[in-house]
Formats: sequence, C-alpha cells, structure tokens
Amino acid sequence: MTRVFVILALTLGMFAAGCTSHDREPAGGSQSVTRVAEPDDVIDQDLMIALAQAKNFHHKAKVYISDGKPAEATASVREILSLRFPAGAPEAEDVRLDARALLAKLLVSQGQLDEAMRTVDEGLAQAQRETFFVANLHTVQGEIHEARAANFDSENDKAKAIEERRAAITSYDRSIQINTALQKSLLQKKPTEPR
Amino acid sequence: MSTDDDDILSAPVPDPDAEPTAAERAHARTFADLVDKTLSGRTPPAMSADDRALLEVATVIRATSGGLELAPQRTRSIVEDALRQAIGANSAATSMGGVTPITAAKSRRRWVPWAIAATSSIVAVAAIMMLWLRTPKQLAAPVAPVAQQETPANWKSRPVELPGPITRDKSGDALSRIDYIFADRLEGFRERRLRGGKP
Repeated sequence: MTRVFVILALTLGMFAAGCTSHDREPAGGSQSVTRVAEPDDVIDQDLMIALAQAKNFHHKAKVYISDGKPAEATASVREILSLRFPAGAPEAEDVRLDARALLAKLLVSQGQLDEAMRTVDEGLAQAQRETFFVANLHTVQGEIHEARAANFDSENDKAKAIEERRAAITSYDRSIQINTALQKSLLQKKPTEPR
Repeated sequence: MSTDDDDILSAPVPDPDAEPTAAERAHARTFADLVDKTLSGRTPPAMSADDRALLEVATVIRATSGGLELAPQRTRSIVEDALRQAIGANSAATSMGGVTPITAAKSRRRWVPWAIAATSSIVAVAAIMMLWLRTPKQLAAPVAPVAQQETPANWKSRPVELPGPITRDKSGDALSRIDYIFADRLEGFRERRLRGGKP
C-alpha cells in the first residue's frame, strides 16, 4: 500500500513538473515566426493531374474532330465532366463549364439539340458564380435555340421558330450582361493592381 | 584439614537404596539455598571451591535444559554486538554506541517512504498550482504578432482568370483555354515546390 502511494506520488510529481517545463518552452524564442501556406488552398499535385487529364481529353477530341469523328470527340470531351478534382478547387467548375460548352457545340453539330440543351442547362444549374465561362455557356445556349428555330423553320412551324429565336436573344442578352459586369469589375480592379 | 565437603566429593558413592544421612540432608539443603540465591542474582561473595564447582555444574545443567532466558537488555546487547561484528565495526565500542539500534532502524524505515511520498505530493501540488496561476497570465498577455507571410496568389488554387469575354468565334476553343490554365497553374505549382512551400 505504501509503495503504491509512493509510486503514485512520484509519477504525479514528475508529470506536473514535465507539464510546467513543457509549458515554458514556447516562451524560449524557438517558435516559428512564419506561416507556411496551408496545404488545402495551394496548387497541389491532385489539381495538376486533373488539369493535365482535362487537357489531354481536349487534345484527343481535337484529333477526332480533325479526323471527322464527332462521336468519338464527344465521348472524349464527356470524360472531362467525370474527372475528379480536389475538393473545393475553383478550377474544377471553370474547366467543366468550358467542356460543357464544347460538348454542346459538338452535339449541335451532330443534330442532338435536346441533348445539347440538357448539357448546357445542367452546367448553368451547377454554376456557383458568374464567370466568362458561364457567359460562354449562355452563348452556346443561344446557338442551340437558333438551331432549334432553324429546324422549326424547315418544318414551317413559324410560331415555335419565333419562340426559339426569342429564347436565343434572351440567352445572348444574359451572356452579354454577365460579360459586361465582369469586364466592369476587371476595369475597377486594374488601377489598384501593382505593376 | 579435611571437611565434610571433602568427604562428600571424595568418599565412595553410596548405594542408591541407602538412606541419606543427616549430614547429607543438611548439606543438600544448604546447597539448594545456594542455588536458589544464585538464580535470583544474589550469589554469595564467598563459598567453598566444591560448592562453586557444584554451582557451575548446576548452572550449566539448567542452561542446557532450555529454561534459561536472558534479560531483554542483555539480549539486545548481544545482537547489537553480533551485527557490529558483521558490518566490520569496532567491536570494542560500546554496545549501543556506533550501530543504530534495531528498534530505531525499524521506526526510521517506517517513516522514510511516507516522507518521500509527502515530498513528491507537495512538489506535484506546487507544480499544478503554478500551471493554474500562470495560465490566465498567458491568456491575458498580448499575443505576439506572428509575421504571416501571405501565400503568393499564383500558388493558390483559384478561379480561372481570363483576360476578357469569350467571343463567339472562340466559344468552342476550350483547348486553347485549358492549355493556358494548365500552363499557368503548373508555373505556380513548380515555384512552390522549388521553394519548399515557403513564400
């Protein structure tokens, strides 16, 4: 019983002494005065890999397009939409929106207007902020409406054709509106930026 | 000059069945008294040589029979002397002088662990008190400004900065844009890696 108490007391004493001595260390001046960049907001290897893959799929699609294989090009661009980017990386949205714009244009060129419109609508619904890529997607949306109007024209459905043209104008207007706001924002930032 | 004592010791051994004589009885009674006095520590200062010899024999017989007990003081003295010899101390020293008495050692052995435990406990309590007393001071003290070096913008993952709107004729030119994005981010990535992540 006595031994147990002695051991307990000694352990407690050493622990407390250790705590106080450890507590003293930071005041000794060995603390780092610089802060290294947080790993979650810097460009890391995962982001570079995702961007490299997107780049390769785009190049692959270009080869297919120049080779007259729009279906294969479409499939290659579609791969970009399923690429895994680091969580929260803003580049992911921009790259995907740009891929959707190209994908929609490829689908339009193949006469798949509904699929093209679905691709655009999904992209616009997922967009978190207004960017030049979103504006470009609205432009592509306008092109799809124009293509639909042309189809209705060929079917002598003037009313629907007019409706699609109006929708096209709305889409272009939205694109112009976003671009104008962004350009204004860029012009306001420029004077304060260091040269 | 011959005495009765001489007669007893030098005379032939009587027959076991023979009746003791009056002189033998008187001598036996006298010797019994002498033995009793010796055992009670009242040994007569003078006695005959025969009585002394008989008395020594009687003492030895009593000691060997196991009934003899030493006084506590004497027992302790003997043990202390034996211990002193065992540890190589001067045997000529007094029995209670140089060696710690067994009783004293026992009592010391009893309080030493408690003293260690108490000291350790006091140290522990003092250390904990110091922690408690110092912590609020540290919290209240102004935090030293840490020189936070801003991470360069080109090292960060960020929205793609395009110089201007995407014109309609360039709407499908996603390839040139991804080339630009990749090259820009690669530059920042390499710069960060080469500097070990420190601005």
